[in-house]
Amino acid sequence: MDPILRRSSFYYVTSLFFYMSLMGRYMLTRDWPVFEILPLFVPIWILGAFFASESDECYAFLRMLPVPDRRVARTKFALILAAVAVQWLLMIGAALTRMDEGIAEPSTLVYVTVVCAFGLLVAAGYQIAVWRFGLSTMKPVLGVSVAAGIVMVIIHLVSLKRVETWPALSQLGVVEWLGGAPWISIAILVALALLVYRALMRVGIRVKAASEAHL
Amino acid sequence: MDTVLEATDLTKHYEDFSLRGVSLAIRAGSITGIFGPNAAGKSTLLRVLAGQAPAHQGSVQVFGSAYADAEQDLKNRIGYVPQEPVFYPDKTVQWLARFAAPYFARWDGAGFYKLLDEFKVNPLKKVKHLSGGQKKLLSIAMALSHEAELLILDEPTAGLDVVHRRALLDRLRAFVADGDKTVLAASHITDGLDELAEDIWFLDDGRVVAHEDKDDLLARWKWVHFKDGALPNAIEESLVRVKRLPFGSSGLTGDYLTLRGALAGPLASGDVKLDNATLEDVLLSFIKGA
Repeated sequence: MDPILRRSSFYYVTSLFFYMSLMGRYMLTRDWPVFEILPLFVPIWILGAFFASESDECYAFLRMLPVPDRRVARTKFALILAAVAVQWLLMIGAALTRMDEGIAEPSTLVYVTVVCAFGLLVAAGYQIAVWRFGLSTMKPVLGVSVAAGIVMVIIHLVSLKRVETWPALSQLGVVEWLGGAPWISIAILVALALLVYRALMRVGIRVKAASEAHL
Repeated sequence: MDTVLEATDLTKHYEDFSLRGVSLAIRAGSITGIFGPNAAGKSTLLRVLAGQAPAHQGSVQVFGSAYADAEQDLKNRIGYVPQEPVFYPDKTVQWLARFAAPYFARWDGAGFYKLLDEFKVNPLKKVKHLSGGQKKLLSIAMALSHEAELLILDEPTAGLDVVHRRALLDRLRAFVADGDKTVLAASHITDGLDELAEDIWFLDDGRVVAHEDKDDLLARWKWVHFKDGALPNAIEESLVRVKRLPFGSSGLTGDYLTLRGALAGPLASGDVKLDNATLEDVLLSFIKGA
């Protein structure tokens, strides 16, 4: 296994393990709004793993090795993609097992996909920003983003329970509409997300090669 | 002789410093020294030459290729030692070697550990527990352990004790002995590399201010010690870094080969004496001017 991949994957695997051991049980046992709330933790969790991984990285050393810079960049992007993909698969699996109970619906599958795509693209954006501006500059921004994400999820959860008119994101009109043909919608959403992600990766490769802020 | 590295019109801007239009060529089989004061641009230049940082303008060709086309191959053929080596701080030296080895086409693990032993760097120690000098030695050991053909060293002797400094200089001498390997080192003038370097580049304020073969340079730069009135006015006025002393004066000339004839008389009379200049003397005259 590639040493950079092995080393960088540690935080993603660890975070995935904790995420699924904490949240997975809830997804399989709890009632509404479990599939409304728990997917929202995916972007937060991914950003946390990304932040830990970048904090422990030593790009100056990597640049001295005979490894093309673009290979390092692709490895980092591949890890984010793999981490999101595994979480998406596990949540889709959990949602499918709970369809019969009515806890999850076809629109839930679409909703999970949208949130995961959002997390994927946000993490890619942060990866580019870290390469461009350096981790020390981005640390506060990342910290605030993660904290704000947690606060917003909590507000959303509390409001769902207390405010009758508070909208559930997984039941928005557009999500419901896409849920009418969930697998087609998911295929299109995934394709679109991957296209944007690929474009971001290309930008990231260029930014990383031109920047010294992350070294 | 072949050129292993050629840089043309390199420009790189930072907020408070710019490398301005630096062009240089490094001959195969030579030890080339880039000397200059602090903030002259030596480290920036070496980073660009070693493919660690892109230039804003200009080009770098190493072994006839650009980094954009052959980054992996070139980094396999180059051993780079930065001014302040950076490694994963929480990892051991041994771990670093295991991590780095698969990326090198020709990694010599046994040679690496032999060098660590020679440099008294404990492979089981974590990087964060190494001193600055030990980190430098670790970086040098890595640069010497993958059969590099070109070493690019940024102040390699800085932070080393006298024993390790001497050992390193001997190693560099041996490295180029067979004539097909090359060393490019940036340094302050007084750390021993000036003894080794054959080709000298002086850098100041982001520009090359002089380039010459060391022997030629030192042949034309001399200290002239003279009694007042012993030198023709034109010669005295051409001297730089003139010091007035109780029993005469001293000044530096970079034009000794031309003045040799005119100085023959005063030298014979004993009113003028000559001393060899050092590279430091020459550098100071370039930096501070006449």
